[in-house]
Amino acid sequence: MSDYVKYSSMSEGDDFLDPVPSFEVTQERVEKYIKSTNDGTKQLTVKDAQGNTVAPPMLAAVYVIDALRTRVGPPGGIHAKQQFKFHRPAYIGETLFTSAQVLKLYERKGRNYVEMTTTTRNQEGELITSGMITRIWGKEA
Amino acid sequence: MTQLQAYEGYSVGDQLDEIVQSVDQSMINAYADASGDINPLHIDPEFAKTTFFGRTIAHGLLTLAFVSRVLSAWNWHGWAYGGDLNVSFLGPVYPGDTVRVSGEIDLIEKREDGVYARCKIVCHCDDRTVVKGFAICKISPKET
Repeated sequence: MSDYVKYSSMSEGDDFLDPVPSFEVTQERVEKYIKSTNDGTKQLTVKDAQGNTVAPPMLAAVYVIDALRTRVGPPGGIHAKQQFKFHRPAYIGETLFTSAQVLKLYERKGRNYVEMTTTTRNQEGELITSGMITRIWGKEA
Repeated sequence: MTQLQAYEGYSVGDQLDEIVQSVDQSMINAYADASGDINPLHIDPEFAKTTFFGRTIAHGLLTLAFVSRVLSAWNWHGWAYGGDLNVSFLGPVYPGDTVRVSGEIDLIEKREDGVYARCKIVCHCDDRTVVKGFAICKISPKET
């Protein structure tokens, strides 16, 4: 049995993540991300008007990919396109839940493509980020 | 929706402040560690040799982190609270590359809930375009 999702096992309309995984927005994770991306945005260093410590909007790249990793494709897959809508930034201390649905499956130039929509909400159901990811599926052994 | 040429200090044709960021394997490894994305294409030179690219490449989402830095510096609130991003990854960023992120306002439009600017976003490594797309952010003052 392979340890990755086979392209042929997916269908358009599938809920890709079932159950929906969770992601803790911890200070350590956010600091590590900021350091690795060399992000000096000053708003990330102070609390906002409500007293929340804000994570970089593009931390979405981490919690969405983290969620998708629970059902990965074979090694060598490539990210082709990305859309994000940041409804608001995540806050340190929140728990995020990302659901994903297979939108389209298609072949182009001999490569298999998957389009998925993602929706991320916090522990209270508040919408944080929505997105669409297009991946070229890695070659299966 | 009504298109505008300018609004409150923002004009069509305005350039966003560029950033120039060098990328090496240690940065890619640090991003892999921070993001948990340990696809061997990014961090395993031996595996990467067997792929189309022939060597490791940076995560596309690392390049988007640089895009986010540009947009955050330009219009933090509009970007972080309601911003849209739509990009295509057109080519790889290799260790040793320097990524230049540019943006330009190409549309300003008044919608029912405020005024928005659309920015063309392009990332280059020398003369190669590696990311291209656009971002849309609200530029009218936030509600109080």
